Amino acid sequence: MSGHLVFAQQDSVRVTEENVSSNIKLAYNSSIVYPGLKAGIELPFRKRIINKTKKLGKERHLFKERLFSTNLGWYHHSTFHNNLYITAGFTMRRNNQKGLFTEFSPELGYSRTFLGGTTYQVNENGNVSIKKMAGYNYALVSLGVGLGYDFSVSKSKPIAIYSKINMLTMFPYNSTIYIRPTVELGIIYKPKNFLKFNSKTKHIHKDKSQL
Amino acid sequence: MKHFTFIIILSAVLCSCQKEQIEIGTDVSETFYVENQGASMRVLVEGNTASKTILLFVHGGPGSSAYFYNTDYISNHIEDKYAVAYWDQRNAGASQGNNNADNFNLPTMTEDLEKVIQVLRYRYGNDVSIFLLAHSFGGILSTSFMTKNNNQDLINGWIICSASHHYPLNDELTRDALTNYANQEIASGNHLSQWQEILNYCNSLPSGMLTLEQANKLNSYATDAETYFSEVEPFPMMDIIKANAIKQSYAITSTFLNLKYSQNADIQEELRKYDFSDQLPMVSTPVLTLYGQYDFICPPALGNDISDMVSSDETFDYILPNSGHIGMYQDQELFCLRVNEFIEQFK
Repeated sequence: MSGHLVFAQQDSVRVTEENVSSNIKLAYNSSIVYPGLKAGIELPFRKRIINKTKKLGKERHLFKERLFSTNLGWYHHSTFHNNLYITAGFTMRRNNQKGLFTEFSPELGYSRTFLGGTTYQVNENGNVSIKKMAGYNYALVSLGVGLGYDFSVSKSKPIAIYSKINMLTMFPYNSTIYIRPTVELGIIYKPKNFLKFNSKTKHIHKDKSQL
Repeated sequence: MKHFTFIIILSAVLCSCQKEQIEIGTDVSETFYVENQGASMRVLVEGNTASKTILLFVHGGPGSSAYFYNTDYISNHIEDKYAVAYWDQRNAGASQGNNNADNFNLPTMTEDLEKVIQVLRYRYGNDVSIFLLAHSFGGILSTSFMTKNNNQDLINGWIICSASHHYPLNDELTRDALTNYANQEIASGNHLSQWQEILNYCNSLPSGMLTLEQANKLNSYATDAETYFSEVEPFPMMDIIKANAIKQSYAITSTFLNLKYSQNADIQEELRKYDFSDQLPMVSTPVLTLYGQYDFICPPALGNDISDMVSSDETFDYILPNSGHIGMYQDQELFCLRVNEFIEQFK
């Protein structure tokens, strides 16, 4: 007979629904030295609050959020292009009890670039003209990973700050793709009454203390 | 009303850098784009536009970028006298577009070059003197341009630096040069294993036209071969990128992805079928050829072939003694001297 102990835990799950307010994001959206801005709205649609009671009675809390987000971004790369883009996607955010959070956000979008210089066209007769608003339309996929601190968790202030690295992929770009890394440094404001949304919250309690 | 104002302001911001600005001066730096058949190609003009003389780089690749030629040395020794136009060809460097694979071919690129020259004349005056400076793949592109209609009348001189005008001939000359140097270096006991490998590969190749795969492998041996000579300074691509990437607003990922795409595009196969030998005699414009002594990618004999074939009375051939394939960097002093002499004579 081996000496293995078989552990079990007592879990409880409770689901609630409530109207929660959306968040507003504003960020500096830099690509190395090229400046930009990003603004967006996050609509929380699912939340899991996990309370873990450890064997010695110590408690640990974390919560995972799923947010639908929509963003308007812009960056300026001098002499190359200005890029104005909109995206929509999901943000998966995981907060610990101190307020630190990490997030991952896949998004889809549309990009319109504006070339970084006067654009000329030459017709068959050799006449040169200037093309206004020259640029291209691209489909866009963005993947981002971020790290932040949510002041509403421990300090009850309705803001969070974060930094995030995004990888923008635009296509079709010269019959291939264009990849552009960007870094966001931003603030999330969590007003009490803004675009309220019906959100499900799952409360999970995992208790190992009575084993 | 608020939304309307916002849209007006946003449009003004986005379009502000598309406003036409043409500067005539001795230390100019300005960028514009030329759009043709699905591509918007970036052109950087730097230096002395008041000179009414422009040196237009026709870069290699296809799929490289003209920005790599914009070194401090060229800025200080050519741009002080003349303007230099760094043109990123379609599907190269910072040039942009959507699905444009169907237009990525030599005839369209020749048309691109015609249009770039027309725009340079539009911006800086019809009386401006333009010199083409072709490097590597730019050789076949500029040959296509020079031998089409009356295009050569648009320029004052044709400079060919380590460039190829005929790919099958290029392969043959590369194989000959590698074989000769391999025998010489093996006899001298230098880089024995490397040269023996090169010699074995050259000997294994069939006579006649090579396949693209064979030509690419030969090209990779040719790239390595120049590094076996202490006279040749390695081309510090990364140092140039580090020094200039931000200063010159490189589009780094665009340049890299365009290059990756171009290396595998259909144009690579297409280029092997062109032979402009019959048309070269129609070139009567002054010609300057500059080839690296240790350039195995485009051996100096290619320059002799061009000089022999054109009908111009003004041909000048020089060997850059410490150069491999990037003569404008590896022998920058002599390169600038010869280019300046040529421009001064024929501008």
